[in-house]
Amino acid sequence: MSFLAPLFLIGTLAVALPVVFHLVRRSSKEHMPFSSIMFLQPAPPRVTKRSRLEHILLLLLRCLVVCLLALAFSRPFFQRPMTASPLPEATGRAVVVLVDTSASMKREGLWAQALDRVDAALKQTGPGDQLEVLIFDRRVRTVVSFEQWNQMDIGQRAALTLARISDIKPGWSSTQLGGALIAAAESFAEADKEGRNLGRRQIILISDMQEGARLDGLQGYEWPRGTEVQVEPVEPKRPTNAGVQWLAANDDSANAGTNLVARIRVSNSANATREQFKLHWADIPGAAPSDVYVPPGQSRIVPAPPLPANAIGERLVLTGDDDDFDNTVYVLQPQAEHVSVLFAGDEPENDPAQPFYYLKRAFQPTSREIVEVTARGSSAELTPTDLAGARLLVAANNLPDSRMTALQTFMAGGGTVLFVMTNASVAGDVGRLADADGFTADEITAPNYALLGMVDFNHPIFAPFADARFNDFTKIHFWKYRRVDASKLPGARVLAKFDSGDPAFLEIPRGNGRLLVLTSGWQPADSQLAVSTKFVPLLCSILDLSGGIHSTLAQFHIGDEVDLASLTPAAITSSLSVRKPDGAVVQLAAGETRFSDTDLPGIYAVTSLQPAVRFAVNLDGAESRTAMLPADELQRLGVPMKAREIAVSAQIEQKRRLHDSELEDRQKLWRWLTLTALMVLLGETFVAGWLTRRTAVQTGAQS
Amino acid sequence: MRGLAEPIQSTRAASAASGRPLIDPATLMSIKNLELRARVVVEGFWHGLHRSPYHGFSVEFSEYRQYSPGDDPRYLDWKLYARSDRYYIKKFEDETNLRCHLMVDQSRSMSYGSLACTKAQYANTLAATLAYFLSLQGDAVGLLTFDERIRDYLPARHRPGHLRHLMIRLEQPPAGNATDLAAPLHRIVRTVKKRSLLVLISDLLGPIGTLEKDLTALAACGHEVMLFHLLDPAELTLSFDKAVMFRDVETGRQVFIDPVTARKGYVQRLEAHNLNVQIACRRLGIGYRRLTTDRPLELALFDFLRERMQRGKRIRRRAG
Repeated sequence: MSFLAPLFLIGTLAVALPVVFHLVRRSSKEHMPFSSIMFLQPAPPRVTKRSRLEHILLLLLRCLVVCLLALAFSRPFFQRPMTASPLPEATGRAVVVLVDTSASMKREGLWAQALDRVDAALKQTGPGDQLEVLIFDRRVRTVVSFEQWNQMDIGQRAALTLARISDIKPGWSSTQLGGALIAAAESFAEADKEGRNLGRRQIILISDMQEGARLDGLQGYEWPRGTEVQVEPVEPKRPTNAGVQWLAANDDSANAGTNLVARIRVSNSANATREQFKLHWADIPGAAPSDVYVPPGQSRIVPAPPLPANAIGERLVLTGDDDDFDNTVYVLQPQAEHVSVLFAGDEPENDPAQPFYYLKRAFQPTSREIVEVTARGSSAELTPTDLAGARLLVAANNLPDSRMTALQTFMAGGGTVLFVMTNASVAGDVGRLADADGFTADEITAPNYALLGMVDFNHPIFAPFADARFNDFTKIHFWKYRRVDASKLPGARVLAKFDSGDPAFLEIPRGNGRLLVLTSGWQPADSQLAVSTKFVPLLCSILDLSGGIHSTLAQFHIGDEVDLASLTPAAITSSLSVRKPDGAVVQLAAGETRFSDTDLPGIYAVTSLQPAVRFAVNLDGAESRTAMLPADELQRLGVPMKAREIAVSAQIEQKRRLHDSELEDRQKLWRWLTLTALMVLLGETFVAGWLTRRTAVQTGAQS
Repeated sequence: MRGLAEPIQSTRAASAASGRPLIDPATLMSIKNLELRARVVVEGFWHGLHRSPYHGFSVEFSEYRQYSPGDDPRYLDWKLYARSDRYYIKKFEDETNLRCHLMVDQSRSMSYGSLACTKAQYANTLAATLAYFLSLQGDAVGLLTFDERIRDYLPARHRPGHLRHLMIRLEQPPAGNATDLAAPLHRIVRTVKKRSLLVLISDLLGPIGTLEKDLTALAACGHEVMLFHLLDPAELTLSFDKAVMFRDVETGRQVFIDPVTARKGYVQRLEAHNLNVQIACRRLGIGYRRLTTDRPLELALFDFLRERMQRGKRIRRRAG
């Protein structure tokens, strides 16, 4: 007989309890009054001698109950030989080795560990196994595919694969772990599609499992059946790692011309052992470093250390942590862009009754841009240079014929003309600009006031106002406007209408540019538009549409695709060439404005443009979060994790236990033992009752 | 150990004297009325006395009177005749010149009884019997009941109705906790100026030092003192077999006692206590009789008279 829980057999020692209870003379709770106890000495209950054991039958029954219960709890069963083989079957496996080559793997010793793990994984493969090696950072690349593996000589497979991966070094990219795992799972699916017979599917993930790894997509991913992921983490020798990030100033609030102080975020890893660091400008002699205190797992935003006069710092370096890979950040001070807006008219600058007064004051210089509104009177010529530098041309009065041609040329070249109809007589000029002869307008004075009844928020000009918080135009009252017939303007699109149904704002495409017509002026005589909160945003929106404002975000991360066209206001006509930080020059194809070869941190320069456009490429800040992911994070996201490999002996033991458990469950001897114990208890109760009655009868007879 | 042997001899003598079975105390206690019980005992005692060689005794020896014809020759004192060659008749005092004060302990310990009657019942019956007997003889009887303080006091009188009052007082149940002889003795000494017979009935369960001191004080007053030391048979032998919690009826203290193991020590300590009391009594000239509640009351009465007689002899011997 065997036992499933033999430890419970210790419970049989409890058989001593009934014996002791029988030996102890029962100390009665009965009280006896006595005249005086002055001559009595208190005595403890005494144990009778062994020879004075009373009620042997009862004692035996009680001992039997204890033994039966202990036996039942130890779950006895009759052993039978195991039929099945205890060892798992060995079949061919399909293994994808997924190796992390992100920037955090540049830490000391990690890549060597990773190679060792790859080597170990390769050594574990059998002749029937199929293997694929993928490396990943922000993207996933194949080093050895299933097909290549199968084509290799069986004896050379491991060595060849290891040689290939040994040539690779970790890059500077961030870690897209989620995408990499999904790609690895998908590679099984592709192999299936190709009709390759895959056995057990296993993904061996060799990574530093850093906290900053992105796990997008894993949450909802449905893993193919039979796939299991085995994580082989590599661990750094020294845990402290602090990283720096440049917080590029994207706000327009700063005053133009002021030299912005770069703000730097210094973050420290959660498992760090140090918290004091130093930040200094590299390559700037005489620049004093600044101390930064960052507790483990936290980050601090600090201003960059001060620079000596007239010095331009572009490289900030953090010192004091264990790993250098993320300690350098490249900083470019933003340059304000000069935008020119022309006003065609003779109006004096300081007359508040005229539209120009408000236009001149609408564009305040900011750190990103400096808009210069220039008036060109009818006597002055609109030179091609003026027009080439202008992004927007605003007209409010009748235009001489000489200007008509210039404006049409300007619009054909992609310029935007905003015609503000301050009176009905300018309708002819509008018609001429729009190629609509005989275009007329009627002067309308609203009996009370007119409102904008319809606004096309889908148009880029009004799109910024689409939000419910900003789309209220009812505060703007129009006293006068010019009624025009939009259908007479070819291709005209009404962007806003008055509540009377008359067009208020029209867009007529002309060549590459456009003509915008506002049928009411913004000066107080016509409307409240100039004094409303919508005026400046509207003009900025028009200027934006006309290509006047460019993105000045000149910071990118490794792997980002950079749209060079957005970095320069100038038109790109020739093919672009970009100089990388290491000095290599990349020539883009003609017409190609997107640059994606941002694989090194540093300052990139588009050398083919005058002046040269520069942008900084930095390491992704997430790479600095090098603390290990929580152990169960992947499991929580539904990744089928593989249990730790257990030794064969342990497997046999586990199997044997399972077999025993099944046998015991089938035989259920404990039930019979418990039943017997209950029967014995009943018998004991009966015997005890009988003995008590007999004693009572004897006592009665004696008394 | 003469003291211990005396009751046995007395029993035999009494049995031989009466010639009829003595009344068992258990049977006697079935009579509810105390006075009736006393009467039964005394009458039974008188009944047997007619055949007894000791009959004719009275409580108080008075004087010798010269024989004159017609006197009962039974009262001739032959020993005096042998010495003086003259006939003398012993004359006994019939008048109420004997004052007897019965001092009955009514502490809680007296309420203990392992047999049919408690020590208190036995003591009351004994006191009632003595009172009735003395009353019949025309003596004045007083009563003092006490525990740790005096509960009742009746001065010694001989008048109609006094005996009844005395019986009523005796029938009150014991109430006190401890036994304290000092207070009642002080009261007696202060109240009773004339020489009296003081009969103390108690179980004397108290520290021997205090008891001895109290008895000394009593004896020093010049009264004739007689002590009935009353004990239950179970108290003498601790005749229990079950180990139980023993509760002291006076103090309420509880201790676990296994009689089998505790018996030997208990009997030794009790005997030592009794012996000390006895020695003290002998030293102080106090008549000492130990009674157990299973002893027929006639014998107790007999003990009383015998003690009186022996005391009389001692006095005569001392006088002669």
